[in-house]
Amino acid sequence: MNFIRRLFESRFWALTLKEIRQILKNRQLIFLLIFPPTVQLLIFGLALSPNVDHLSLGIVDYARSSESREFVSALVENDVFDVAAYPKNQAELGQAVRNGQLIAGLVIPPSFDRDLNQGDSTDVQVLIDGVDANTAGIARGYIQQTINQYTRQLNPQFKTALIETQTRFLYNPGLSSSWFFVPGVIGLVLTLTGSLVSSVTVIREKDIGTLEQLLMTPAAGWEILLAKVVPLFILLMGDVLLASAMGRFVFQLPFRGNFFLFLALSGLYVFVSIGIGILLATLARTQQQVVLTSFFFNVPIIQLSGAIAPIESMPKFFQILSWLDPLRHYVAIARSLILKGVAVEALLPNILTLLMFAVVLLSISVRRFRSQLN
Amino acid sequence: MVDSFLAHGTEAGGSAPSATIRVQGLHKQYGAVKALCGIDFSVSPGEIFGLIGPDGAGKTTTFQILAGVMEASSGEVSVLGQPPREARLNLGYLTQAFSLYADLSILENLRYQAGLRKVPQADFRDRATELLARMGLSQFPNRLARQLSGGMKQKLALCCALIAQPRLLLLDEPTTGVDPVSRREFWDLLAGVAADGVTVVAATPYLDEAERCNRIALIYDGKIQQIGTLAELQADLALHRIEVRADALGETEAVLQGAVSRASSALVDLQSFGDRLDILTPNVAQAKSEILQLVDQQKLAIPRLEANEPTLENVFVSHLRQQGADPIYRAFPFYRKPKALSTEAAAVAISADRLQKCFGEFQAVKDVTLAVRYGEIYGLLGANGAGKTTTIKMLCGLLPATQGGMSLAGETQNLHRAEVRSRLGYMSQKFTLYDDLTIRQNLEFYCGVYSIPQKLHREKIDWVLETCGLVGRENQMTGSLPGGWKQRVAFGASVMHEPDILFLDEPTSGVDPLARRQFWRLIRDFARQGTAVLVTTHYLEEAENCNRLAFMVAGEIVAEGSPTQIKAAQPGQLIELVTAHTQRASDLLRQQVEPWRVSIFGDRLHLVLDCPEQELGPLIQSLQGAQIEIRAQRPLPFTLEDAFIGTVQRAEEVSP
Repeated sequence: MNFIRRLFESRFWALTLKEIRQILKNRQLIFLLIFPPTVQLLIFGLALSPNVDHLSLGIVDYARSSESREFVSALVENDVFDVAAYPKNQAELGQAVRNGQLIAGLVIPPSFDRDLNQGDSTDVQVLIDGVDANTAGIARGYIQQTINQYTRQLNPQFKTALIETQTRFLYNPGLSSSWFFVPGVIGLVLTLTGSLVSSVTVIREKDIGTLEQLLMTPAAGWEILLAKVVPLFILLMGDVLLASAMGRFVFQLPFRGNFFLFLALSGLYVFVSIGIGILLATLARTQQQVVLTSFFFNVPIIQLSGAIAPIESMPKFFQILSWLDPLRHYVAIARSLILKGVAVEALLPNILTLLMFAVVLLSISVRRFRSQLN
Repeated sequence: MVDSFLAHGTEAGGSAPSATIRVQGLHKQYGAVKALCGIDFSVSPGEIFGLIGPDGAGKTTTFQILAGVMEASSGEVSVLGQPPREARLNLGYLTQAFSLYADLSILENLRYQAGLRKVPQADFRDRATELLARMGLSQFPNRLARQLSGGMKQKLALCCALIAQPRLLLLDEPTTGVDPVSRREFWDLLAGVAADGVTVVAATPYLDEAERCNRIALIYDGKIQQIGTLAELQADLALHRIEVRADALGETEAVLQGAVSRASSALVDLQSFGDRLDILTPNVAQAKSEILQLVDQQKLAIPRLEANEPTLENVFVSHLRQQGADPIYRAFPFYRKPKALSTEAAAVAISADRLQKCFGEFQAVKDVTLAVRYGEIYGLLGANGAGKTTTIKMLCGLLPATQGGMSLAGETQNLHRAEVRSRLGYMSQKFTLYDDLTIRQNLEFYCGVYSIPQKLHREKIDWVLETCGLVGRENQMTGSLPGGWKQRVAFGASVMHEPDILFLDEPTSGVDPLARRQFWRLIRDFARQGTAVLVTTHYLEEAENCNRLAFMVAGEIVAEGSPTQIKAAQPGQLIELVTAHTQRASDLLRQQVEPWRVSIFGDRLHLVLDCPEQELGPLIQSLQGAQIEIRAQRPLPFTLEDAFIGTVQRAEEVSP
């Protein structure tokens, strides 16, 4: 009881109450906390998919036989390719691929069924638009795979290789790409919202000139900042819950790990993102400046984190650089807890790094807070 | 330019040749609120007409109706012989907020305004060159508007309003927050514009400025209470002012205050200043003998008495008091023991020793040395950019000094420790309240952050609300309050914790004269309880409330002392001239003496001369040589503003 009374009489409570009252009156902030995270999650989760299907395929079938038609139907069976055109000749096909009307082209030679019937191997020509290297690679692999299967079907004794890999996908058996993306996007959303919202609440005092007055009160820098952080932290945890609920019910994420551990570690990351925002706010002079600089920082943080593009596909230098990216650690934690359900021990290096980030960012901000008027 | 304006002046009106503005029975209602209830006045061509009144009296509404921005609820308004809406192209309207585009240059702002008002390109170049030269802005036509000082911004805004050669200028508190030197220049320019035949209607919270109008209307409660020239208003008041200077000023004040409240006394009103008391009385001789008798009874030292004309502020305050418009005064609920000032007389609250501040190459503050004792009100005065705000920020620990020593509440190290700061009160020039909180929430916040015991919150907050006249409106959003009211709440918020040292940076900017008087009464109460007060202001009449003053020019203190000492230290004499052609006389005199020595006050000229015995004769001869008849001349005592402008200009002449 005594403690509670002391809390309500403390400076810290006066500061916090002021922040809460300001936040409650700030519709824009509430909007910023709810609308963009929802939209970002839906867009990244649903639209951003590396799966390749319904690629337009052009076919020049010089053989015009039942075998060649069978081969084509084997290719389009899985919806990876749709036959979009039957150009008259090879030149026309080449032209269509060059124009971008077709992603891939297949030329079946006139000797196709004759060669196969004689037991000889035959050559088919494949043209692939290599502009989108990723799609091209997948298309190539798929065509190769279909040809191998087709060959085996015709000639069971035919051995392509002595060792054959049997791949089993762990954790994401259906290879649903949204499972990969959504945990990353939760991290992305927390970074963007956390840094933006915190920098705006801090810079506003500077913008309207109340900061000077606040610095003249006996309140210490840490009290002022902590009073700003606490209500934002609670609100951003609401964002974590919102994102988790969407992950669970919209994207059917499994949440295999301890959910409370996930919440606690997300809370740790929320502190990091608030720290980024406050640090930017003490460096900038106006609201406009802080919004623009946060763009400058947030884009590389997101790109390097592996939230969207896999870190393994980056050049070595950037892979090393990504260790300095707090979001990378959070994304690793989120994926491990949501998809794999690992124990906390396995995540210790990531957790310690995040903790370090939170402490360093917030303490620099507190130190800068008082001297920022100069 | 002069000719073209004159041409305008003579052709003004047409069907109504006598009046530029004619207002009859003007009413305006906002819902249930009556902003104006029956206003009548008319303004002649080439006249400078002043509107004065407390905050919320209806001044801005009147301007908006005259400018055709708003429709009247009822009544007749004719501007230049037309309804205001149709006269819009012939009038310029300047509001409190700078109506400039901060990211455009001086020339671009002018061109934009000219474009809006369809000024032909050929005319634009000539007019722009001439206007900028006249306002002293021609050296840097490409400087961005936001890089200009407040005074220069207002001059540019005036240029923008004048570029289309309007026949009527409406100015709604154009000089709020502008320093005295720039303000005086601004009004000199207005006098010139009016002499060219442009009619000027201006509202101002600064009554010394209003004295420069040809006629003045006092507006209160939506009605015009009084209208006339300064002399007419003074005569109408039928009171004289006696300045009382004494060594034991506090005791003398207490004795005389007792007399004022007695009906039989010849003393009608008493106002306390930093080193003098002002008494209003209908009969000077009777009042003087009464004062001497009272003082003698109490065995106090004999005061020095000086009879004078009442000021416009006396007129304003006396009249509004009769209307019951005086804000409620309630003593602050002090819980701190008053400092025993006699024993601690030597205790210095704020001191600075050769304080310096450099921003890069620029030396903002040079060698400032000052000391403020507990119980003392110390004023820091200077033009914009003179280094006042930088000095105050260093003294209260917000900015580190580049060089020099200082102490605050007896501490010299770590001035921003919480223990030191809890003994300070600070009210900055900018907004110190949160617009998005209610008035009560703001006050609760400051109570909490200064750790005022919970059980005292209610009493302190009630005190602020009552003093500000906001009882019953405490749940209103602070952002919706007019500027003057916000300042009052902000003052309340900064003193609730009974600080030992109070920093006030332009506390009364935009506050009306009645509220300003109340403000200073409260500040004096705090000083009497032992609080050291350091205050900056642009309003020199108000600086009379300080016990000691320092004038700053270009980062240095150039004069220091009590208001009386500073005025007495001014060399020379102020002379008032009444001539037949005020503007021509002024132009002629300005060719012979430095321009700052001459200024126009309505139909009179104020002239500052260092050696009047030798200088005045030749000047008068040259006026008479130019066929300008001199109707009257008399010496006047310096006001603090005269002293300020003289000091600043002389200091700038020495080091340009």
